[in-house]
Amino acid sequence: MPRGQLHDGWALVRALGAVAVVTLAYTQWIPVSNAAVVSTTLLLVVVIVAATARFRVAAVTSVVAMLCFNYFFLPPVGTFTIVDPHNWVALFAFLAVSLVASNLSATARARTLEAVGRRDELARLFDLSRDVLVMTAGPDPLGTLCRAVVRRFDLEVVAIAVPRDGRWDIAQAGARTIQLPEGELDAALTAARATLEFDARARAYAGHRGVVTSDETLRLVPLRAGTAPIGLLAAGGRPVEAGTLDALAGIVAIAVERARFLEERKAAELTRQREELKTTLLASLGHDLRTPLTSIRIAAGNLASTWLSDAERTAQGELILAEVARLSRLFENVIEMARIDAGAVTAEIRRVHPSEIVAAARERIGTTLDRHAVAVHVDPDEPVPLDPRLTAAALAQVLENAAQYAPAGSTIDIRAQLVGEGLLLAVADRGPGIAASDLPHVFDRFYRGRSAESRAGTGMGLWIAKGLLAAEHGRIWVENRPDGGAEFSLLIPTTSSAALAPPA
Amino acid sequence: MTAPARLLLVDDELAIQRALAPLLKSRGYDVDIASTGAEALGHFSVRPPDLVILDLGLPDLAGTDVCRRIRTVSEVPIIVLSARGGEADKVAALDLGADDYVTKPFGPEELVARIRVALRRVTTSATAESGQLQAGDLTIDYDRRRVRRGDAEIRLTPKEFELLSLLARHHDRVLTHRAILRSIWGPNAVEQPEHLWTLIAQLRKKIEVDPAAPRYLLSEPWVGYRFSTSAGEA
Repeated sequence: MPRGQLHDGWALVRALGAVAVVTLAYTQWIPVSNAAVVSTTLLLVVVIVAATARFRVAAVTSVVAMLCFNYFFLPPVGTFTIVDPHNWVALFAFLAVSLVASNLSATARARTLEAVGRRDELARLFDLSRDVLVMTAGPDPLGTLCRAVVRRFDLEVVAIAVPRDGRWDIAQAGARTIQLPEGELDAALTAARATLEFDARARAYAGHRGVVTSDETLRLVPLRAGTAPIGLLAAGGRPVEAGTLDALAGIVAIAVERARFLEERKAAELTRQREELKTTLLASLGHDLRTPLTSIRIAAGNLASTWLSDAERTAQGELILAEVARLSRLFENVIEMARIDAGAVTAEIRRVHPSEIVAAARERIGTTLDRHAVAVHVDPDEPVPLDPRLTAAALAQVLENAAQYAPAGSTIDIRAQLVGEGLLLAVADRGPGIAASDLPHVFDRFYRGRSAESRAGTGMGLWIAKGLLAAEHGRIWVENRPDGGAEFSLLIPTTSSAALAPPA
Repeated sequence: MTAPARLLLVDDELAIQRALAPLLKSRGYDVDIASTGAEALGHFSVRPPDLVILDLGLPDLAGTDVCRRIRTVSEVPIIVLSARGGEADKVAALDLGADDYVTKPFGPEELVARIRVALRRVTTSATAESGQLQAGDLTIDYDRRRVRRGDAEIRLTPKEFELLSLLARHHDRVLTHRAILRSIWGPNAVEQPEHLWTLIAQLRKKIEVDPAAPRYLLSEPWVGYRFSTSAGEA
């Protein structure tokens, strides 16, 4: 038995009980001879019933109350017959008033219920719009949207279908999983595109239709951005009014558009960044390639001429070799950068002496440090487990950076020491130090300090050092020394667990 | 023979210094070297050079600054070394008084040829100021405002003659579009190169044997124009 009828049954029982109580009261306990008092009291009961129960309950109550009034109070008492024509009028007046009152009160009640329902759906729509507005670019915007609709509208299942490149992009949420037949979706979207009618009474566009899935009929609503349909919304569970469903579809359509816009903006941003990176790379490569190329071209021309002395010839040959070495380092940096970008750098842990790493790093940069005094302190020189290639390459980048900024003839200190967490390599120079405004960006790719604009250098080195160290879970940082110059620190963890874990 | 011309090479790149110095010395020039802009400016009070080769990327001063400061003390020819892509700097340097430019990476002959032309301009400019200029079979008579190719007189409009004499008075030197526009049409015209393109095309039709392959009025792409006197020799 449906809940509504059961509810009405109880209401009827209570109403009839009330009529019985009034009848009993006036016949047994407080005898009243004036029929007007009785009829007013019974009318009061009917109006109260009409205000709290449905019209049919109130109507039945009215009739029963009328009969009781007739039987117990209108003379001749104890029969349904009426002698006095005045009493006929009183009886029908009672019935008419009670029925009209019931009807009025029932209508008012229905209006109230409808208003409450509207308010409830408006509140749900409002909550949903708020969800949509705060939605940020996430990995699964349509799924998030479906979950929001399910939650806000207490639906059992919601699916959003958006056509994309000739296929349906379907996301759903709810207690069950549904299969939407694509043929139906195509038909619904085509129909929605073909017709645009507005049903003013239901406050809804035409195009709502049912779609039968395995076990039930879902309601299918076109999502309209403006008036153009951009997809479909399928809803199952609690019945929702057509107008509300349309408003809901409108909000979902805006959200879908917004998600698409956010996605496009992200893609555009990525493209822009990539373009910017490419431009920067080309500019700095261009700058750094041209100078060695010019020197090599001129020096090679000099070598081919007849006017050179032997000593000069040797010098020109050395010059070419040094510039070629510079070009190869540049080339290696570009390759290294591509490998870091591709995530192709992996650590191979071996046990090596810290002094070997320092030596390897110095060898990597060739003659770059020739114009500086280098002081190396290794303490203690015990074998440590780490990737010697990555570590030495990172250290070499830091040394090259120091050689570029510290004045010729100054001392560059290299310290290697074992600390609690692992191997700490420190490179201290006596250069100008790093400007406070540059400090946060030192390890950014292609970032070059203000003072460095006119110097050779690509802004790749320290970024590469950071990338290489990251592959072995190490880190790099820099601070200005109190007595001038910069000190770079490289910390490579050597505890077996950290060092041997696969790079994140 | 007079004393060899003294060149001042201004470049902070050691490799460039080491490669260029022997080359220039082998061509009979005296070479001084400066690694910074300040050092270069210092040379002007001690050993004024006959020509400056100036790299635009210096550690201490902007190349354009060095150019401007040199011009306040000397009319010496300046050849700018620039990287491709540094068009804006190059044009700025030319507008500030540099005479010519070479783009890196350049070959030895390219630089040496520019040096030779720039030095010759200095020695001939004294005579060019007065009377007329002879370039190949072209004669420009500044006073009588006449131009002849061989024996044939070429009729030019006043604007055409103005442009030709401007370029010819600064022969073998790059004049930027802006500089030409300003001096012929005034400062309001510097953003309207269409005037210049049209006038150059007209002028080439009249004075060049083959206007499609000009010998005198040479274009410097993106930068400006140059009146070449070495057309006959090339």
